[in-house]
Amino acid sequence: MSVTAAIRDRDVAQLPSKRDEEWRWTDLRGLIRILPTPSLAFRGDVGVGPFDELVTRVITLVNGRGEATIDVPPGETAWVALRVISRGDGAHSARVTIQVGAGARLHLFETYEGEGGYLSQTLLAISLAEAASVERVVLAADSPGGVSVSQAEVSLSPRADFAQTVATTGGRRQRIETRVSHPGGHANLRLDGVYLLADKAHADLTTVVTHDGLDGLTEQLTKGVVRDQARGVFQGRIVVAEGADRTDAKMGHHALILSDRAEVDAKPELEIYADDVACAHGNTVGALDEDALFYAQQRGMPETVARALLTEAFVGQVIDRIDQAEAREVIRAWAAERLRA
Amino acid sequence: MAAVKQTVDHVESLEKYKHGFVTDIEQDFAPKGLNADIVRFISAKKNEPEWMLQWRLDAFERWLAMDEPDWAKVSFPKIDYQDSYYYAAPKAKVGINSLDEVDPDILETYKKLGIPLREQEVLAGVIGSPRYAVDAVFDSVSVVTTFKKELAQVGVIFCSMSEAIREHPELVKKYLGSVVPVSDNYFACLNAAVFSDGSFVYVPPGVRCPMELSTYFRINAENSGQFERTLIIADKGAYVSYLEGCTAPMRDENQLHAAVVELVVLDDAEIKYSTVQNWYPGDPETGKGGIYNFVTKRADCRGDRSKVSWTQVETGSAITWKYPSCVLRGEGSSGEFYSIAITNGRQQADTGTKMIHLGANTRSRIISKGISAGRSSNTYRGLVSAHPKAKGARNFTQCDSLLIGKHCAAHTVPYIEARNGHAKFEHEATTTRLSEDQLFYVMQRGLSQEEAVQLLVNGFVKDVLQELPMEFAVEAQKLVAISLEGSVG
Repeated sequence: MSVTAAIRDRDVAQLPSKRDEEWRWTDLRGLIRILPTPSLAFRGDVGVGPFDELVTRVITLVNGRGEATIDVPPGETAWVALRVISRGDGAHSARVTIQVGAGARLHLFETYEGEGGYLSQTLLAISLAEAASVERVVLAADSPGGVSVSQAEVSLSPRADFAQTVATTGGRRQRIETRVSHPGGHANLRLDGVYLLADKAHADLTTVVTHDGLDGLTEQLTKGVVRDQARGVFQGRIVVAEGADRTDAKMGHHALILSDRAEVDAKPELEIYADDVACAHGNTVGALDEDALFYAQQRGMPETVARALLTEAFVGQVIDRIDQAEAREVIRAWAAERLRA
Repeated sequence: MAAVKQTVDHVESLEKYKHGFVTDIEQDFAPKGLNADIVRFISAKKNEPEWMLQWRLDAFERWLAMDEPDWAKVSFPKIDYQDSYYYAAPKAKVGINSLDEVDPDILETYKKLGIPLREQEVLAGVIGSPRYAVDAVFDSVSVVTTFKKELAQVGVIFCSMSEAIREHPELVKKYLGSVVPVSDNYFACLNAAVFSDGSFVYVPPGVRCPMELSTYFRINAENSGQFERTLIIADKGAYVSYLEGCTAPMRDENQLHAAVVELVVLDDAEIKYSTVQNWYPGDPETGKGGIYNFVTKRADCRGDRSKVSWTQVETGSAITWKYPSCVLRGEGSSGEFYSIAITNGRQQADTGTKMIHLGANTRSRIISKGISAGRSSNTYRGLVSAHPKAKGARNFTQCDSLLIGKHCAAHTVPYIEARNGHAKFEHEATTTRLSEDQLFYVMQRGLSQEEAVQLLVNGFVKDVLQELPMEFAVEAQKLVAISLEGSVG
């Protein structure tokens, strides 16, 4: 069962369904009756991406087409915007390979920009050599009719540093999956996410981190706000293999449900085979704190303003963790615009 | 410190598995294997009415069409369902009225069991023995039910399931299978087809059951699966506390235990269900033998403001696979789940709970403490869900895992599904090992390493132990210590 096989073989039966435990809340098989025909090349203008001004190189993949290799030589620093664009109602799949040499730095700003009722898959293979550092900021703006699956396989080396923040408004079905192979060796990993969902949007943030060696550090914080009939999904799994002692892993997921018909599903998992570890996860789901709302209104704020302020502060905690200042402000503006709407 | 001293003394007095002995009494076996004729045989053996036989046969039909589930984080050789005995009764004695008629060997067995409950005193008729009503299930057949008269005076029905089928068919027909439907899952379906006996409790409206009800199961016959079926109904405003304790003799062949427990709670009623499970866990070195404990336990809080509390101490069994659940249907109903699961040697446990919030203002609380030692694996798996109508639903979950040793595993797999904007769910989990600092401190105060571990572990599980009824709490504390024997050093 894989999206890759389904698109390649044009076989709808190979799409993952809710019977597959890892996809129980993101059922593609039940949603897609007939697999779309392969997407045609798109010749129109795709405009400017939100991060284009911050980088020295822009890679644009339209309907699965285009060059997609990023290679940062040892010791160098690169600023790259990766735009994954979908247009129309077809199915397409793109592959991206990213290699970051020893001691090199990569600032990767990735966007998903969609229009239409497409089925899009993006596979990313990201490898970090020793002491390499990557900050990946993903802004996913799929269309309300689009089905999008992004799957990244990240492989870390000792003393590497990988920090990721995913910001999404969802799609008809959208899954952003990150699998990290963590060798320990004082490598640092941060996996964050923000989902702001309205109408019938669906977003699924899935992460799997496997610690294989001594002294690994993982921190995760995901926050979401859902309204209308939207559905937010968070699945996080941290695996600590036998012998991966002195692993320190923390995972947090917190969601606000702002309407009666919205839904949040979460599964924060720990799978531990070593005893000298400190692992914890926390998960909360609920409405906006009525007391805080009352307090803000009492200070003279209209209710709508008070709500926007409180929800912005709620997700702001994740956005604050983005290292690169300009990218952080792009995401902050994006969140404010959606929460004040 | 008295309790700790007691624990230590108890551990010292212990040889390996204390309850590993076999009582040799004449068994009345059904032939090996499973088919419709065996189901008929069991039904006939128990003099069941036709409707019950039909119910069983229907379940058996459905079971044939089902596949054995494999999603739990446990592994075991494939079970050959045709290689087991599905019915073993102690040699039938018609109409046991007094304890004198009970097979002396059985009484001897109770004596050997020692502490778990004080039933043997009750069974032996010791004057001034504590007032527990015991429905002892000895390899599938309820041998004797004490205190039945006293309970009858307040209208409480406490008897074996087979008796309930004969004496109270209207209640059984109304409630049996209404919480755990026949085809709910593979093992529950198998149970529905071949269940041998179990306990039945009905507490009438407004009655507070005057004593703790207790039962315990003991798997005795070689290769005989035990399939109890328990049904407890608390009518409007009623209260009952039910204790279940288990021990089983040492055995080489794996034994299958697939019980079903159904609780029905009506308006303003409350059921407290406590379990201490101490079945043979298999050989600590090889993992050979040991009980497969695949149990379906579910409570249906049908009434408004009803309440269910599950407390479990799981220390035994080679494989434990159970999720005592609460369906919170009634408005303002609440569910609680307090669990200690300890695995050592080669044991595997996949256990947790489901809190399904259907009604408005329903509340639930989950406290789970898992301890893994040796080469064992311990998984907490739980579901908390709020449906769109469950406005104001509230859940708090805390699951902590403690690892003792380099080769054990602890997993936490919580599922959280919130489908409305007025539910509030909180979940927190931690996984750690015994703190070196604390161990050092305690040992510095003069305790041996083993004692120090016991003390710290007892502290770790205290939140749950204090939820147990008094008479279980002391026993459970000892059990915790015994289960972790030899896990350090």
